[in-house]
Amino acid sequence: MSAGRPDADDREDRAGPGLPAGVRRIVRLAARRTPIEAEVDAEIAFHLEMRAAELVAYGWAPEDARAEAQRRFGDVPHWRSAMQAVDRDHAARQRRLDWVADLRQDVRYALRALLRAPRFTLLAVLTLALGIGANAAVFGVVKSVLLDALPYAHADRLVRIYARWESDPASGRQSLSPGVAADLAARLRTTTGAAAFYFSIVDVTWLAPMGPRVLSGAVVEGRLFATLGTRAALGRTLAPSDAGQPTVLLGDAAWRREFAADPNVVGRTLRVSGTEHEIVGVLPPGFVGPQGDADLWFALDLAPALGDPATSRDQHWLGVAARLAPGADHAAAQRELDRLGAALAREHPGTDRGRTLHVVPLRDAMVGETRAPLLVLLASAGLVLVITCANLAGALLSRAIARRQEFAVRVALGARRGRLVRQLLTESTLLALVGGAVGLLLATLALAALRALALPALPPYADLSLDLGAVAVTLLVALGTGLAFGLAPALAMGAQRPQATLRDEGRGASGGRRAPLLRGALVAAQLALSLSLLVGAGLLGRDLWRMANAPLGVQADGLLTGRVVVGAPAYPTPAASARLYERLEAGVAALPGVLAVATTTQLPSRTMSSNVLTIDGVTLPGAAPTFIPYQAVSDAYFRTMGIALVAGRTFGPVDTPDGVPAIVVNRTMARRYWPGGDALGARLRVSPHTAERWGVIVGIVDDVRLDPTASAAEPMAYASSRQDVMFNGRDLIVRTAGDPLTLVRPVERVLATLDPTVPLRGATPLRTIVRERLSGRRLPVLLMTGFGALALALTGVGVYAMFANLAAARERELGVRIALGAGRLAVARLVLRQGATWMALGLLGGVLGAALVTRALRARLGEAVAADPLVFAGAGAVLIVGAALALLGPVRRATRVEPITVLR
Amino acid sequence: MGADGMDLLKGTLDVLVLKALTWGPRHGYAVARWIEDATRGALQVEEGALYHALHRLERKGWLASAWGASETNRRAKYYTLTLDGRAQLAAQTTTWTRYAEAVFAALRAADPTVA
Repeated sequence: MSAGRPDADDREDRAGPGLPAGVRRIVRLAARRTPIEAEVDAEIAFHLEMRAAELVAYGWAPEDARAEAQRRFGDVPHWRSAMQAVDRDHAARQRRLDWVADLRQDVRYALRALLRAPRFTLLAVLTLALGIGANAAVFGVVKSVLLDALPYAHADRLVRIYARWESDPASGRQSLSPGVAADLAARLRTTTGAAAFYFSIVDVTWLAPMGPRVLSGAVVEGRLFATLGTRAALGRTLAPSDAGQPTVLLGDAAWRREFAADPNVVGRTLRVSGTEHEIVGVLPPGFVGPQGDADLWFALDLAPALGDPATSRDQHWLGVAARLAPGADHAAAQRELDRLGAALAREHPGTDRGRTLHVVPLRDAMVGETRAPLLVLLASAGLVLVITCANLAGALLSRAIARRQEFAVRVALGARRGRLVRQLLTESTLLALVGGAVGLLLATLALAALRALALPALPPYADLSLDLGAVAVTLLVALGTGLAFGLAPALAMGAQRPQATLRDEGRGASGGRRAPLLRGALVAAQLALSLSLLVGAGLLGRDLWRMANAPLGVQADGLLTGRVVVGAPAYPTPAASARLYERLEAGVAALPGVLAVATTTQLPSRTMSSNVLTIDGVTLPGAAPTFIPYQAVSDAYFRTMGIALVAGRTFGPVDTPDGVPAIVVNRTMARRYWPGGDALGARLRVSPHTAERWGVIVGIVDDVRLDPTASAAEPMAYASSRQDVMFNGRDLIVRTAGDPLTLVRPVERVLATLDPTVPLRGATPLRTIVRERLSGRRLPVLLMTGFGALALALTGVGVYAMFANLAAARERELGVRIALGAGRLAVARLVLRQGATWMALGLLGGVLGAALVTRALRARLGEAVAADPLVFAGAGAVLIVGAALALLGPVRRATRVEPITVLR
Repeated sequence: MGADGMDLLKGTLDVLVLKALTWGPRHGYAVARWIEDATRGALQVEEGALYHALHRLERKGWLASAWGASETNRRAKYYTLTLDGRAQLAAQTTTWTRYAEAVFAALRAADPTVA
């Protein structure tokens, strides 16, 4: 009993000299069992008898003596209950103190036990920290992306409406035309406040006092803010009446950055894109639009587009957000959209056929493509945590077995089983808490790294931080882990018979039959999970490698790009802006280090604008119109980009503004629509300036894939910027001899001499742009590879521990075998055979798990994730080599067992 | 508290009980007898209050108790002074002495106009 409670002894020592310690213990034990009432009665009775006996000795009659004793004592029932009350209070306080003392004792003992095995402790804490840290970091990301509230009122009632075209069923989130947006607002009953906005964020130039500044701008219908339930922090938000008015709303970040958080900013005017705009208000901090964050918010006026039949239903560039009407749910809204889509197809067969409308919760719309990789990551982190727990459970189990002797002694000395179980639980909880604390530290570091790495790939409202919720969940995971893996050895302890353990001291260390079985199963599970993770990482990595190394169709290295946008009133006609671009090209071409210069209306990308394709004399398949990505380029474009000419010619001075519109198509387009090879000379309509008269294909060029995530090249058409002058912004492309970035300043100076009010926007090497387009794909690969490596390391530790344990448990037997003449090789084979079964089982499970992972990845990430035998073999080899390295040490040690030392 | 014996100033009983235990463990009856002897019977102590004081002092941690055998070989509850109790006794002794001297000095003073 006393083994567990030296504190109780401490308390008694403070009582000073008195009864011998042994006597005191015995009387204390006796006193424990006596209820307070009986004790008080006995004490009073003793006193009264002693007093009466004394009086009798003085000559009192026994009767009188008893009465006198009672009188001197006073009111006996009163004092009895008073004494009992004091004692009960005292006993309750004592129990609380004992509990705290026991806990302190447990913790102190656990600390001592853990410090006595520093290697085990360090390993356990680090393993836990890695597992928990990985989980906390990933959970931080998942929470900020998937769980945190959107910055809107009652955000779960907000939806976004998309179009899907029969001709392109894969992309179900297409923009809408102004006509459709107006129809949605006017005709939908299941939603209210449907508000349209330009689908992306645009660059706008603000003529600040210090010179031109490029800010991000969003163009939205005024009622969007009412629909989202957003109020202005200063002034007011935009209203429907702002449509067509020169008003602007500031974002919180822009207000702080550009206007030093001036509280009197409302009412000031900004010269944006050549027009004075009045500031009507400032948005609250944390607000982002459904299409992203922006510095300036302008009112969208759909009236001009709606009034022009050529643009009202033909051009698709609007997003629409709405709020579900009271009582309506998503299913009801979708049913109504199905009916409306069908009605619109009947009313406008030329433009609205072959399209369906879809309602998507606004969160899903904003989470976009992030959800699938995040869930994959969460699952990976979870697997790592499971491996962590398995590892620790195994380690604690063998530790408990190694300590069976110690526990048996304590039980034999009278320690209650509950007390030992509590001791073990304290130990593992302590481990878990320390591991959790270190894990949180790791998670904070990991999130800082992720913030740099992942922010471009995450939705705009995501704010990567380890918040209270994430910390709470992490601590829960840590505690759960501690209890879970502390319980197994604790329960095993409960089933133990101390006499048996003490008796066969020699075999006590082998730990029975169940423990190695559990241990082996844990290691097998670890191997299986690791293999699954490694295969997943391998598949994603191969996918990324393939994308990063696929030919782009251009020579991306050495190219500098930057955007120049001009417009009214300084450049009232397309011809005026065209002149600026010509002079810019000439000026930049004259710079030293410049090999070639070109301009294009837009860089090729997955989201570049498209036009409806019409081919003379051909009926294109499908009910819906066919869209072809299209860009107008200057003469030097193909040469500057390094795009090879396949047939015909590229653009030149012969393509005069009044001449026949010349069109160049890429190889994929030529092959798809003119499989007979007769593309050259074909007549088609694909660009604004071919709306009136047919364009003619004059050349075929190689495919360009500047979006490396696209699996195959898409058809694409080019026009000459000599003929198509509709666009008022151009991307400047400069081929340089050396580092593209060294030319940014010289190019800016050339532009400034031509027009000091026009900035060069986003000057970036083309290689960087390509890399950024891959960043969304690189993140999961990096993280999953990290998790795979982590799992491999943890599993290595697990395998090492299992073999070390196997060898140690059979040390005596091995010594006997060696003494009887068994060879070292035979001994090694013996140990290996026992562990190899579990490893084989683990690998087998791993293959199954990997097949599941492959399927899951293909379902979530789609396209090209293929069950690659090379990846399977590679991951398996890495795992086997890792495991082999881990078991090398213990097996070697087993073969070196000295028979003498073991048998003595 | 109900600890006021007719002739006992409040708090006096506690310090007397502590003092009674300075020579080692005693049961309640021995404590009562010691107080009678030490005060030559001058102080009337209601014995129930004495026992109440013993239990209170134990709760405060100044006394510890244990059951043992009495001189007549009967089961009796013995009280001992803890280290805390010893410190408490020293402190209260100082306070009481100073108090008593002050009262004594005041009562013996000849001139009532002392500043």
